[in-house]
Amino acid sequence: MDTIDKIAVYCCENSGLLAAGPVTDRKILDSIEIMKLPCSGKTEMGLILKTLEKGYAGVMIVGCPKDNCQFIRGSHRASKRVDSAKEMLAAIGLDPGRVRMEFLSSVDSHKFVKAVTEMWESLKIATS
Amino acid sequence: MNGIKSGSNLEKVFAAGKFAVTAELGPPKCADVEVIRKKAAFLKGNCDAVNITDNQTAIVRMSSIAAGFLAMQEGLEPVIQITCRDRNRIAIQSDILGASAMGLKNILALSGDHQNFGNHVTCKNVYDMDSIQLLQTMKTMRDDKTFINGEEIKNSKKDEPVEPKIFIGAAANPFGDPFEFRVIRLAKKVKAGADFIQTQCIYDMERFEEWMKQVRERGLHKEVKIMAGLTPLKSVGMAKYMRDSVAGLSVPDSYIQRLAKVAEKDKKAVAAEGIDICVEQIHRLMDIEGVAGIHLMAIEWEHRVQEIMEKAELLPRPAV
Amino acid sequence: MITAVQKPFDEIYEMIQGYKKILVLGCGTCVTVCMAGGEKEVGVLASAIRLANGKNGIEMDIAEDTIERQCDREFFDDVKDKIEEADAVLSLACGVGVQFSSEVFEGKRILPGLNTKFYGTTLEMGVWSERCAGCGDCVLETFGGICPVARCSKSLLNGPCGGSQDGKCEVDPENIDCAWQLIYDRMKSLDLLDRLEINEPVKDWSTGRDGGPGKIIREDMTL
Repeated sequence: MDTIDKIAVYCCENSGLLAAGPVTDRKILDSIEIMKLPCSGKTEMGLILKTLEKGYAGVMIVGCPKDNCQFIRGSHRASKRVDSAKEMLAAIGLDPGRVRMEFLSSVDSHKFVKAVTEMWESLKIATS
Repeated sequence: MNGIKSGSNLEKVFAAGKFAVTAELGPPKCADVEVIRKKAAFLKGNCDAVNITDNQTAIVRMSSIAAGFLAMQEGLEPVIQITCRDRNRIAIQSDILGASAMGLKNILALSGDHQNFGNHVTCKNVYDMDSIQLLQTMKTMRDDKTFINGEEIKNSKKDEPVEPKIFIGAAANPFGDPFEFRVIRLAKKVKAGADFIQTQCIYDMERFEEWMKQVRERGLHKEVKIMAGLTPLKSVGMAKYMRDSVAGLSVPDSYIQRLAKVAEKDKKAVAAEGIDICVEQIHRLMDIEGVAGIHLMAIEWEHRVQEIMEKAELLPRPAV
Repeated sequence: MITAVQKPFDEIYEMIQGYKKILVLGCGTCVTVCMAGGEKEVGVLASAIRLANGKNGIEMDIAEDTIERQCDREFFDDVKDKIEEADAVLSLACGVGVQFSSEVFEGKRILPGLNTKFYGTTLEMGVWSERCAGCGDCVLETFGGICPVARCSKSLLNGPCGGSQDGKCEVDPENIDCAWQLIYDRMKSLDLLDRLEINEPVKDWSTGRDGGPGKIIREDMTL
């Protein structure tokens, strides 16, 4: 299996993508690969596992805050599926921390940076 | 009810028009006979018959028939219980023959608690028949002298039938749902063959009186002998447990408050207060038209039964 | 439909150890509807197995495919070659499909990836509920269209028992409705309450599984 030393960040185009937009920190940007979703609710187990199969270090799903999802319950659903994926990873014997759900609004750029940084810290600790 | 069907003591007490009393004895979770002897000693002479439970709450105990036979040797008249959970119609009819042959005359039909509640939750579910079909089975065996497949109960073609002569009991729950259907279900049990009924333990007198009113409206109290169930409250904890954890049971706050008040002054006096409440309940029940007796379930409190009976002025038991 | 749930991952993973080449074979009918063994689930499970093998350094070829049904011979034609190439097939069909696959491909190791549960219906997305027990002698006419055999925990034909509380079954009040509350309400709405006063006699269980494994023959339809 190839390894891609990046976190695949699936961003809801209504929130996460806009939050990621203004980020200029090269360290952050080089450590992630941003992919667009019409709604974080499109996330399913298959997407997460296939992404990890490709070799990504981790998968982050960024959706709207639960009480302000563009499509009402999209990010709520995404969160449940991320929880199931964590359980599957644990059953496989992999670190459940390799998948993470973040709820961000379109102006939360600083929170976006913080989330990516935190995830990398925990992944490094897990592999060290 | 025309004529004596089994000749059991319980049946004769009812036939003589007396207020009947039954108690309960739970068989041991082992092969020890002493447990039965000890409990029997407390109950002898203090009631007309004693229910011997059948793997109650789906927890394995000595069988009702075996324990009943041993209790009979100690001078008690047993009411054997048969649940539908563990046995099919072959085993049930076989057990009825066996019980009758051993001199056990009273048999109570129950659906039985689901095995989920017990200590062998992975077992197979039987429920070949339900309690109403079980009542029908007992009635058919006794009155038609046949098994439920139509065959006569006799050992060979040339013999005469030797059928079980039993007094048939059933349970009733005046407090379960749907409330409007409860009396209809009682009517079904009477039609299926119940000679006597024991209810779940009663604390909510008003609701029970309402149920009895409906029972009387249908004339069921004349077709079957109804025994009101009672369980004395030993402590505040027990009263609260019964209220909160037992489905369908509502315990009036007035009882809990009474016990709590006594507990504040003297913890040791709570049990006596519980017995007083029980005796008051007995007297109130004796005044309700259609109530032919009480079923006292003093579980693990068999040694207090005599005291309750004395205070309720129900001793000595009638000799019939 | 026949409902099923996927076996726990570690149970499945244990089953496939030692094989070099496996085919994860899904079924497009019942188990797709109950989201246990359809094409999507095949993809997820195959991914999970590859990730686990990657972690454990195990070499294994995982092929994936899904056919319309695994209980009818005609649908196996499309995957005949894949099945023959595989050392073992991890079938995500119900128990019928797993067994039938074994009958069609004699000598091939077919492993069950699912635990088959019951005949049921979809209540809402992601939730399925049991409805039929396959007793072989349908009594739905008597009970207003609600089956006491399948839906009453004790299969009572003269229910309810004393454990019916607020329309729920005491065996699992969170998940099980009291079938007899449902029957009572339904018969009331159909104005047929007096039918429930009839004492139903004991059931003939021999028409179902209790009479032995079943077989149906339509003489007019055999060739």
